[in-house]
Amino acid sequence: MSQQQPAGVIHDIGYRGYDGPRLGRGAVARALYVHSLRGAFGLGRSARAKVLPMLLLGVMCLPAFIIAVIANATSSVLTELPLPYSRYAVVAQGILTIFLAAQAPQAVSRDLRFKTVPLYFSRPLERSDYVLAKFAGLSTAMFLLLAAPLLIMYIGALLAEFPAGRETTDVALALVGAVAFAIVFAGVGLVIASLTARRGFGVAAIITVFALSFAAISSLQGIIRYVEDDATLAGWLGLFSPITLVDGFQTWVLDASSSAVAPPPGSAGGVGYVLVTFGVIGACWALLNLRYRKVSS
Amino acid sequence: MPVIQTEELTKRFPAVTALDRLTIDVEPGVVGLVGANGAGKSTLIKILLGLSEATSGQARMLGLDVTTDGPKIRERVGYMPEHDCLPGDVSATEFVVHMARMSGLPADAARERTADTLRHVGLYEERYRPIGGYSTGMKQRVKLAQALVHDPEIVLLDEPTNGLDPVGRDDMLALIRRIYTDFGITVLVTSHLLGELERISDHVVVIDAGRLLRSSSTSEFTRTSQFVAVEVTAEPDTVAGQLKAAGLDVVRDGHLMVVPLEDESVYDIVRDTVAQVGVGLIRLEQRRHHIAEVFGERGSQ
Amino acid sequence: MNTTVAQLTARALLGGRRALLLLVMSAVLLALAVLLRLSVGVDHQVTADFLGAVALGALIPLFGLIVGTGVIGPEIDDGSVVYVLSKPISRPTIILSKLVVAVAATVLFAAVPTFVAGLIMSGTEAGLAVGFGAAALVASVAYSAVFVLLAVVTRHAVVYGLAYALIWEGLVGGYVPGARTLSIQQWSLSLAETIVERDLVSSDVRLAVAGVLLAVVIVGATWYAGQRLRVLSLAGEE
Repeated sequence: MSQQQPAGVIHDIGYRGYDGPRLGRGAVARALYVHSLRGAFGLGRSARAKVLPMLLLGVMCLPAFIIAVIANATSSVLTELPLPYSRYAVVAQGILTIFLAAQAPQAVSRDLRFKTVPLYFSRPLERSDYVLAKFAGLSTAMFLLLAAPLLIMYIGALLAEFPAGRETTDVALALVGAVAFAIVFAGVGLVIASLTARRGFGVAAIITVFALSFAAISSLQGIIRYVEDDATLAGWLGLFSPITLVDGFQTWVLDASSSAVAPPPGSAGGVGYVLVTFGVIGACWALLNLRYRKVSS
Repeated sequence: MPVIQTEELTKRFPAVTALDRLTIDVEPGVVGLVGANGAGKSTLIKILLGLSEATSGQARMLGLDVTTDGPKIRERVGYMPEHDCLPGDVSATEFVVHMARMSGLPADAARERTADTLRHVGLYEERYRPIGGYSTGMKQRVKLAQALVHDPEIVLLDEPTNGLDPVGRDDMLALIRRIYTDFGITVLVTSHLLGELERISDHVVVIDAGRLLRSSSTSEFTRTSQFVAVEVTAEPDTVAGQLKAAGLDVVRDGHLMVVPLEDESVYDIVRDTVAQVGVGLIRLEQRRHHIAEVFGERGSQ
Repeated sequence: MNTTVAQLTARALLGGRRALLLLVMSAVLLALAVLLRLSVGVDHQVTADFLGAVALGALIPLFGLIVGTGVIGPEIDDGSVVYVLSKPISRPTIILSKLVVAVAATVLFAAVPTFVAGLIMSGTEAGLAVGFGAAALVASVAYSAVFVLLAVVTRHAVVYGLAYALIWEGLVGGYVPGARTLSIQQWSLSLAETIVERDLVSSDVRLAVAGVLLAVVIVGATWYAGQRLRVLSLAGEE
């Protein structure tokens, strides 16, 4: 065929119309959600796109694996895991931040940079559906990144014959905390990434906001608490960095062991942390919707 | 039933009025929307799709109101933007499948229709390579494919021949014509090139600075007049004299001679006269109106 | 070094959101310094710890990353680097001109504020401000050179640079003693250690070793970046 006719000429195969089902908004949004989730791990794209997320997933699980092995090897001496489940997120925050910094721009900056957004909005997909699908997709990816090592540790604990009831409760609470981490991280990351079409800059900006805020706030908390002996003020300072914020949230709400320098001060502090956490999530949602309302070309 | 209807549609920006009380009625077929750059063509398309909001006035597509029934309209409409809109690192197949799913097709149907549509627009083995390496012609085809893949009732094509070489342009225009005649999908095409729209449209809408200049069927526009234009290499006066002697009315129009076409014998008379005088015949054609004349008319209004 | 290239790079780097982010970061550092001075008073150990952890440990590497990749990364990304590459300017000269801009920006927005923060917190005593200012200066140059090289070598420079800064210098450096010898942070700390009195700063690397390694990295990265720019290919994504 291609020898008889020049390439690019239309073949007269006959056009077939489409009479099949046309799924509504809900199904389309769900398809976009799955697409975003897969894209966060490089699935459905080129091989090179998979390298970094999979590498990060591996690095994320490695310490958990080591901990599980240690627990089993020394189960005669240890009666619990060397590192509590709920502290894993803060300990591994570097990996989480890099993953977020690499994949949040992947989720939104690409569409802005290549100007694919009008193609989405000229379809039966509302703007808020787009935002929801991207937000949920990235949050799920972050949650999976946190849940995998927790499950590895849990299996290790069960194999080491630690009390199953206690381990199950602990891991369940840690997973709830992981949900909070995932949503807050994804929200802040997406807001920052959606402000720029340049992927490199989005990556740097996300890292800066998370890493610098954590370094600055922890250092400040350390100084205020131990030099000034003011644990209350140090506790309040934790509101100003996403990592310490969610850590404080899970410490107070889920009774997790704190990894921060200073936990939320008292009940007032705890309530404050909860309010700010939900406030941050709400603000991210609103800002993302606002940003995409203005896109028209 | 008109597929596109606007009534006093106006869009004002702080610095410029993009559309000024535009009122048009478009029947099924291939409709050409002509206007210079900045005349308001893209703005109109964006308002029809719900990507942008009109300042005042009404617009209806397929009988549905653009502001209240946006999602229903968008289920049945395909859009091919003017600007680059394709990601560089996925293949055409992956991209069009994804867009098909975003239009509401289930996964299997999306894959099937993508394969069909890419074949219809003329992309074969290239469809598995990343879009970043495509030529402009191939990219335009991918853009067209994503607009057609969900079998819409109407497609809006914004400057589809931009950046194509002459052969590519012809191919694209032929394809656009087939979209209506073979696929049964109404097409709204914009361009600032008048000649190509003349060739493929059933109906032409001309706008300038947001205002409607003229809206009528192509055959009205370009109907052949009953005149023949003659152009020779040398001695036009001699030839004109001879033609008058042969009984034809000759009107001079610059270097052309215009002769009324009473019957077929006029062609023979002209040919014989010119050969007798001994000069070369450059042109012997029926005078047709051109869309460009519409812009001339505006000047005289 | 070519002044036109440098000027164009400077204008591109300092226009828009990037400059805003850099200014905010410097402002945050200074604000924290003021806050600490007001709440803690003058405590030299606090100063040393704060500047070591926040300035040298987080701010300077991030700065080097943002600025180092910012002087050439966006151009390669959108392909406009061809305009510079097709001029009769040697590739090493282009790299050097851009590096000068990167170093100037990092010094201006990171090293100088570090020095000022030191002054705010401890005045001129104990050589803290000077010590950490010098360390910041040296680290800025080194990070800039490394990240410019990274930006030429890969499109994902920012992510790999982060991986280096966070994983290598943070995680591995914390647990593998040998790794600390290969950390820019430690080299600059050893310079601070030498200048600052009273054992307030400690580093695992001796000054001589640090000095040599710094020189090797700075010169080596700059030279190699020039070589890689010669064979830069622009086609396609990823």
